[in-house]
Amino acid sequence: MSANEMITLTVDGHEVTVPKGTNLIEAAKQLGKEIPHYCYHSSLSIVGNCRMCQVEVVGAPKLMIGCHTQVQPDMEVKTQVTSEKVKAAQESTLEMILINHPLDCTVCDQAGHCKLQDYHFEYNAKPSRFIENKVQKPKAVPLGPTVMLDAERCIMCTRCIRFCDEVTGTGELGMANRGDRSTITINPGKELSNPLSGSVVDLCPVGALTHKEWRFNTRIWYTKQTDTICPGCSTGCNVKVAVRDEQIVQVKARQNDLVNKEWLCDEGRYGFNRFIPEQTFVDCKKDGEKIAIKDALAQLKVIKGQENIFFLAPELLLEDFYLIKQFIAQHCPDSKVAVAYRKRELTSVEAILISPDYAANYKSAEFLGLISDNPGKDYEEALAAATASPDKNIILVGDRAILAEDQNDQLMAAIKAAPLSALIGTDANSGLYANAQLSIPSRSIFQKSGLLTNKDTRFQYSDNLIAFAPGTHPEWRVFNLLAKELGSQIVKANSDREMTLELLASDVFSADESGAKPTIRDIKTAGLSV
Amino acid sequence: MTQKILLDNIEHDDHATLAGYQSREGYQGLKKALGMKPAEIIDEVKASSLRGRGGAGFPTGLKWSFVPTNSEKPVYLIVNADESEPGTFKDRLLMERNPHLLLEGILCSAWALQAEKTFIYIRGEYAYPYVCLKKALQELYDQGLLGKSVFGSDFSHDILIHRGAGAYICGEETALMNSLEGKKGQPRLKPPFPAGSGLYSMPTNINNVETIANIPFIIAKGGEAFASIGVENSTGTKLVSASGHINKPGVYEVEMGYPMLDFINNECGGILNGGKVKCVIAGGSSTPVLRADELEGVNLDYDSLKAAGSSLGCAGFMVLDETVDMVEALLNLTHFYSHESCGQCTPCREGGHWIEKIVGRIATGEGRMEDLDLIKSVCSQIAGHTICAFGDTMVLPYKSILAKFPEEFEAKIKKTATGFYQPLNFIGNSAGDNH
Repeated sequence: MSANEMITLTVDGHEVTVPKGTNLIEAAKQLGKEIPHYCYHSSLSIVGNCRMCQVEVVGAPKLMIGCHTQVQPDMEVKTQVTSEKVKAAQESTLEMILINHPLDCTVCDQAGHCKLQDYHFEYNAKPSRFIENKVQKPKAVPLGPTVMLDAERCIMCTRCIRFCDEVTGTGELGMANRGDRSTITINPGKELSNPLSGSVVDLCPVGALTHKEWRFNTRIWYTKQTDTICPGCSTGCNVKVAVRDEQIVQVKARQNDLVNKEWLCDEGRYGFNRFIPEQTFVDCKKDGEKIAIKDALAQLKVIKGQENIFFLAPELLLEDFYLIKQFIAQHCPDSKVAVAYRKRELTSVEAILISPDYAANYKSAEFLGLISDNPGKDYEEALAAATASPDKNIILVGDRAILAEDQNDQLMAAIKAAPLSALIGTDANSGLYANAQLSIPSRSIFQKSGLLTNKDTRFQYSDNLIAFAPGTHPEWRVFNLLAKELGSQIVKANSDREMTLELLASDVFSADESGAKPTIRDIKTAGLSV
Repeated sequence: MTQKILLDNIEHDDHATLAGYQSREGYQGLKKALGMKPAEIIDEVKASSLRGRGGAGFPTGLKWSFVPTNSEKPVYLIVNADESEPGTFKDRLLMERNPHLLLEGILCSAWALQAEKTFIYIRGEYAYPYVCLKKALQELYDQGLLGKSVFGSDFSHDILIHRGAGAYICGEETALMNSLEGKKGQPRLKPPFPAGSGLYSMPTNINNVETIANIPFIIAKGGEAFASIGVENSTGTKLVSASGHINKPGVYEVEMGYPMLDFINNECGGILNGGKVKCVIAGGSSTPVLRADELEGVNLDYDSLKAAGSSLGCAGFMVLDETVDMVEALLNLTHFYSHESCGQCTPCREGGHWIEKIVGRIATGEGRMEDLDLIKSVCSQIAGHTICAFGDTMVLPYKSILAKFPEEFEAKIKKTATGFYQPLNFIGNSAGDNH
């Protein structure tokens, strides 16, 4: 039998063809059908302990679990839609799970995005017949620096244990005791402190594991949840970010098997706020004097025809890099361009997910040919040139145009002393803002939307999370306006979305066989690899 | 009781020693086995129609034939000595009084399966049987009869004894393997089955102590000779662990097909204090009970007990006389099973405890009439929905006790029914308020 053999079966009478070795949950998913499950996760081993995914296989004496049953030719599978037996089994499983589950949804962080609530509502929704006392277990147990356990809420799916055993290989978690006294616990001498530890909270289908950072923070239904990309490094992990009152109140990993499965590192997850300056500037300034944007752009016009040094932040969007590239090509082609980039040492567990750069989107600049394929060398050279050539203009785009560790006195003096130094950024407390002669306010990565390119050149959509200050412009528009001042507007777009559409239609993206260019929707689903 | 296969000669105090065992034709079966081809031994075992004595009664020869021959991976043999079923203590006697019979059986089986190592997984509480077995094993090693060369042959084999840590579930074969591997004793999903991927993912065969102890006889006397003992579908003899309200509790070796009433009246010496039988649990605590009026004509073999609606199991034969309160008996059983549930899969973990709590309410006078249906309903929610057979077997005695003694439950409920329920902290750990 060949490895890529395809097997055809029916689920609730609908035919589906899937590769051999596929399980029934995944096969049903192909048809858009959900076989409900708790313990199964496509990237973890199968334990079959929740019993929620039981389905009827015609001819089998008992119900089979969808996670552990592989497709067979001509198999007839019946889910809750067509089988009363399956429906009864699901009701039974939910009744059983809820026996010892505290009904403290009113204070539970998971309420509103809880699989137990969802499934109970969808598949059972009956009052319990259980009138005895529930088993009491430890509550508010810190498992490590990031995660808290409420053992009573736990439904023993063991996803967290398997994650630490199979993904990080750190083995911090285990199950103590037997029967309904079973409890997730920290193995002796350990604590849940691996670099991906927060992922267990995402994996927890109920509210047993919660983030210390965000416990009792807000009800999820008061938040706006947005699918976006973590800007922490060039892995480009898919995330779902909950925002309330312009504050990030929770970051969840989003499943994308081609990028991050459903994992997220703690540095990325809990580090979203590092991209939001404590204090932002919203006015253009020249040598400390507030000026209008028009005047600021007029000041900036002097870079035309010069050998300027451009430092670009790695969180700029593909759109920004595109405009900067066009601008430089048209007006100052002899300029030197660098993206802040430095590799760091990673532990083996960090390396599971994290890229050794701090540069979410350096690949976009590389893809456009704005920088070489050795971004670290470009950056070091630009740093050296900035201090060694006092006659060159220094243009800083983005708050992290120069890494914090490189913002030394010598460089700051060079920025101060350059014929013209300009910052297009947001952070009013940064050394760059203090020293650049000209500053133009822009928007942080969370205040705009556009494309990020991860280390594998996969284009992904970074969405707008929080509101921007009136009067600010995304970087791409600053350069478009500047080009307009110089007599040649580069793009027509007025909004982020129009810009992305214009970019997708440009010659940066080639058409597929049918002549169609990629759409934002194509990119939003699972990213786009070219 | 004509033929003794397993308990022969155990009355001799030196029978547990190598010298004593060998002086009574010990290890003759092994010597014969080592001269046979492995496949021939498996054929003999198939011819004997020996069925697994651990409780399931699966044909041993057939089970052996599932183990791949000429496997590139090492084949392991596991002896399940985790005898934990309430009412069962036959393997203990074998290991204490006749350990060399087990070791001989192991070596014959290992040769037949071409196994590299044998692991004896012995119940943790069996401290003395462990010492006896260990002593016998050490004798073999000291005499150079084990290890590189088994009894001077080219066959090399090692036997390891591992003590469990007190979990009933570790008698389930895959939980036992997890436990042996140093993991938590929880059953595995099947497939894969142990014959293909068992201990350490190697082909593994696992048998009960008593099953293995039958092998030397089968080899020495032939499968046909073994099959001529007992009745059709139930060949050989069976060790019965008799306990309860009888005058002579103990382990008895009887020919398969022995009438149950004769066993009670003869071997067991009748009912204690001249009482009357209320019911019999014939196969161990996880088999359905038989009421006194159902015992007539039932024999101790697989088919007869099955026809009577019960099962031979591992023959943990418990006699309950009329002084027994069946509600309390059920409570005792439910407490055992809920305590021993491994906690892995939902129905058994939650359902087992739920039933215990309901029965506990009935026993302490807080029962409701609808509880009887509730118990039956929860039983059906457990059986057939779990990873291992624990859930399936746990509900068998529950259902049979409820079905056969409903009047005792109803009486208890009616006597004390007050019309309302107050939360009650019964056995278990739920102290504190009810929320």
